[in-house]
Amino acid sequence: MDIQFDSESYWNRSSRAAFSFDDEDEVDIVSTELPSNQWENNGIFSDDSISEASFENSPALNHLSIKAILSEEALKLVLQEQTLDERVIHKGVSPEEELKLLRRQIQSTLYSPDLEVTAQKLLQGKTAPLEMFRSLHEKQQLLDTLLCNGGGHAVVTVLLFLKRTLNAAQFHGILKQRPKALEQYLSYLRESGDVSSHIDLLQRFGRHQEAALKQFQAALSSEDANTRKQHLQRLVDAYASAGVGIIPLYEQVFHAALKMQLLMEKESSASKLLGDQPTPIELLYVCCQQNNNWKEQDMLKPISPQRFAADQQISPAQYEWTALNERAQAQAYADLECIFERVPTWHPLKSKQFHISFDLTLAVVRLYELHAPSTVLQLFLSKMGNSGEKLALAQKVKCIKAVIDAMAGLKQQQELKQLRETLPERSEEQFYCENALKALQSKRWTTDNIKLKL
Amino acid sequence: MAQNDPGNGNLMEKKLQGFQLVAQEKLQAILCSIPGKKDLILEPALIKPLEHICTASWLKLKGIQRIYKHDAKQSLPRSADEVHIYMIRSVLGTYQTLLRQLQPLATVETPDISLKMYHIICVPSCYTYYQTLLEQAGLWGLVELHHYNWDFIYFDQGVLSLELPNLYECLYLHGDNSPLPAVAQSLRLLQMICGPPAVILSFGSHSAQLLQMLQALGKPPNSTNPPDYGAWLIIDRDKDYPSSLLTPAIYAGLLLEVFQQRAGEIVVDNSKNKISSQRVELLQSKQPKAATNASKSISVRLNSASDEIYGDNRYKHFAQASSLIRAQVKALGLELQKLNDMQLEEMHDYVARKLPKLTELKAKVLRHLNASEIVIQMLGNFRRLQTLEEDILNNVSRKRLLGEIDELLTTDGQRYNTLRLLCLLHHCAGVAPEELQLFARNYCNMFGHRELGVFQQLAQAALLPQLLPEKKAPTKLLANLPLPKFQQTEFQANANRLKLLTSCGDGPDGAATSKGPQGVQSCPSFVFNGTYIPLVAQLCSILLRANNAEDLSSKLSMVEGLQLHLDSSSSRQTPKAYAAQQRTPPGAATPSSGVDADVFPLRLRNLFVFVVGGANYAEIAACDFISKLTGAHITVASDSLMAGSDLIAAAFSN
Repeated sequence: MDIQFDSESYWNRSSRAAFSFDDEDEVDIVSTELPSNQWENNGIFSDDSISEASFENSPALNHLSIKAILSEEALKLVLQEQTLDERVIHKGVSPEEELKLLRRQIQSTLYSPDLEVTAQKLLQGKTAPLEMFRSLHEKQQLLDTLLCNGGGHAVVTVLLFLKRTLNAAQFHGILKQRPKALEQYLSYLRESGDVSSHIDLLQRFGRHQEAALKQFQAALSSEDANTRKQHLQRLVDAYASAGVGIIPLYEQVFHAALKMQLLMEKESSASKLLGDQPTPIELLYVCCQQNNNWKEQDMLKPISPQRFAADQQISPAQYEWTALNERAQAQAYADLECIFERVPTWHPLKSKQFHISFDLTLAVVRLYELHAPSTVLQLFLSKMGNSGEKLALAQKVKCIKAVIDAMAGLKQQQELKQLRETLPERSEEQFYCENALKALQSKRWTTDNIKLKL
Repeated sequence: MAQNDPGNGNLMEKKLQGFQLVAQEKLQAILCSIPGKKDLILEPALIKPLEHICTASWLKLKGIQRIYKHDAKQSLPRSADEVHIYMIRSVLGTYQTLLRQLQPLATVETPDISLKMYHIICVPSCYTYYQTLLEQAGLWGLVELHHYNWDFIYFDQGVLSLELPNLYECLYLHGDNSPLPAVAQSLRLLQMICGPPAVILSFGSHSAQLLQMLQALGKPPNSTNPPDYGAWLIIDRDKDYPSSLLTPAIYAGLLLEVFQQRAGEIVVDNSKNKISSQRVELLQSKQPKAATNASKSISVRLNSASDEIYGDNRYKHFAQASSLIRAQVKALGLELQKLNDMQLEEMHDYVARKLPKLTELKAKVLRHLNASEIVIQMLGNFRRLQTLEEDILNNVSRKRLLGEIDELLTTDGQRYNTLRLLCLLHHCAGVAPEELQLFARNYCNMFGHRELGVFQQLAQAALLPQLLPEKKAPTKLLANLPLPKFQQTEFQANANRLKLLTSCGDGPDGAATSKGPQGVQSCPSFVFNGTYIPLVAQLCSILLRANNAEDLSSKLSMVEGLQLHLDSSSSRQTPKAYAAQQRTPPGAATPSSGVDADVFPLRLRNLFVFVVGGANYAEIAACDFISKLTGAHITVASDSLMAGSDLIAAAFSN
């Protein structure tokens, strides 16, 4: 297993596959030591291979021995605390000591349990027999001692013991009086994946909101779409009739999730484009893709974007942003006008109005990123009120016509003239620029100027 | 005052690296207690931290024949004479999965007490009820459990981590303090190695509990070495959320914002990173090219000894760091060009002596250049974000801030970071349940209904308000009323008492001095672009500058929950009570009355800081700044190093 250190290829290899994790391909570990500065990409256990980099050989440590930092006594203590079961008698113990140990063990198993010692052992994570805590008082005392000392996992150990040795009424009574223990036990149930016990206990202790949430999560996590739907339906029905007030947000989301589940079942063509459980926005995106009439708002078809957004309570901003992205990706820029220019519903005779629910700048920048043509950019830029900002943004997204508009708005004749020089001869932009200049010059005699003179 | 001895500091750093030796001793004790032909099966997440403990050859020396990655879906076949040693984190889910995998054994094999063929090592500790579960699974006698705590892992100069990534989640979100005893044990080992400090300042209930556990473990045997630390500072994460929630402005901090960190290394991958994976893919302007660039991810170790480029830039303002890196790339390019103009002989010498070093350095610089460019690209409009955060901190027009966060969710929704801004707003200025409801609705639309539980989880940690079953009219009315200016949230009251907010009120001069990326920084708030001083840094500075107990008390007595634990007496007391005790006239306090001399000013000017629930690089950098300013050494340790998004992400794991 010798590898030549000086061969160049050795150093250049990014990772030396000295060890493979594949079951079939078992190679022995190469025992080569490397200088510590050659660590990059050679983590000893790089993801798919194992190689020999070392932090151990760092120069600082070469001169340091364990004795310099930790006394022998301390090290012994540290190692002894690491062992789990102290009942195992190690070799090399004198007969007298062995007798002492055994006597102590018998005492603790057969007679009165030692509260403090047991609690201490449990806190250190050591094995300690609990069977001799038989009376309710002793059990409670043990639990309280642990809780008082900070608890930790030892509390769960004792609670599992209590659950085994007490009936449900007693057990719940104990939990009820000790909120900390209850919290610890709930956390244990959550992690153990025992969903039904977890929900039961939450409900028993009046924590209906958390129970509802847990039920909802359990419903969503069921693999099969059909059972998912049934669970959601049951949940929605249960909380409609239960009479316990539920957080309005939860109720809304439960309903929305059920609605979406039903929709996906009906419109399987739409949902096929996405994963098993898409988010509302993702589904909205697909709805936009499949929508072929943007001129009118269709509120009847459940997968029309407008209807879906209303059903799922998608905010106007979210709806517009999603539609903008989807239409721009599809290069169907003409539809953007339909999305953002609407006839106000309250006054159907009025002309179309441009309305956008988020910062126009963001829309322009995004359209530019999606390679929208400059006419589209100009349309959005033209809606900006502040000419200074418009100019900066138009320059950023390289929309010449909007730059010209903005300069005209700011009455920057000099700049316009300079710009005209840089534009290609006889191009559309140049004409546009000239027109803007002409308009500016003729505007000298507008009423504004006359007023000023008066 | 600054009698800083560099030798002393070096020795201490060396000692801290010595934790590795103890970790090896402990692992060796377990491995050597198991006879037979041993295979080690590791949970993948343990591999990186374990690299800091030992090498594969070391493991072989201890009798490990082969090492496997544990696969939760597939169990590993074992031949008759092999012993399987599994090593997993003490996470109940993982443990149960493993037990289910081993379950078939219960029916096949008969227990042989003398020689167990299966072992499970739980990191950092084997919870006592694991034994119960083992028995229930019918595996008692077949499988033996061990616990292994590797204690502090030395990441970098002044930075230690226990690498317990789920501690924040357990303690603050689930109210489960199971992992705490293991932390207490590690602190005790620190006590053995570096000696007990004269005084410990704790802030928060978990910190106090940790110290109680430490005491319950008993006095450690007397250290042969002189003590290294004058004081310890142990603080709960929730006592200073802004340090985690604000976006840091320094290089190391931003690296952690953008790249996944594991055991002191970040993974730089051109195609995906921590920020891009938080966004909804469909709404990204650039559709990620699938598998077109199969660029391999590179890992960068955040250690100044092995990477001088990192060492030079880690705690600098990002703008400064990235321009320095760029300049260095240019300089190196020029240096390498010299080769063209050289005579043959010169060239020979150059290639032999200088070139290897230069190419190595160049590779390092290019890695950082790449990383910093990805950071710039990912953060987008960083200035806007910083202004938003500053306004949140100073509670400038709450309604507008809510609107801005909502717009960010719509147009650049990031699963964790957008929520993080709302949490910051709640912490600093308060968010009403109705406002949360509106935001949550939009959030669930964006990221799916299944994230509904997150809001309850974050409310558990007081990062968001509790939602209420029915709308209460009065609260809604209150929210609509214009709040009087003088009304402060608890955060602001405490932040003002400790002078943490540096960008508000006191005119432009205070902020301007520390704000510029260039120029000399005069205030630790530079880590947040001059807006906020991390609490730990401020407390360190107060501890180091206190001339006597009275002095300390005057600065800290207004803040509730701070406690002093003195080595001499096992009791804890508030700084005020301690000052009062010191004040008792000498006549009344006879030498026998047991009142010791004031521990302030600290005789030993080294501090050990431990954050319960994850520290971050902004805090580390600010402490580094304080240590340079005062000539002290400050070691920052925690259960793990986290960026703000990691903190929020903890609420998502279920």
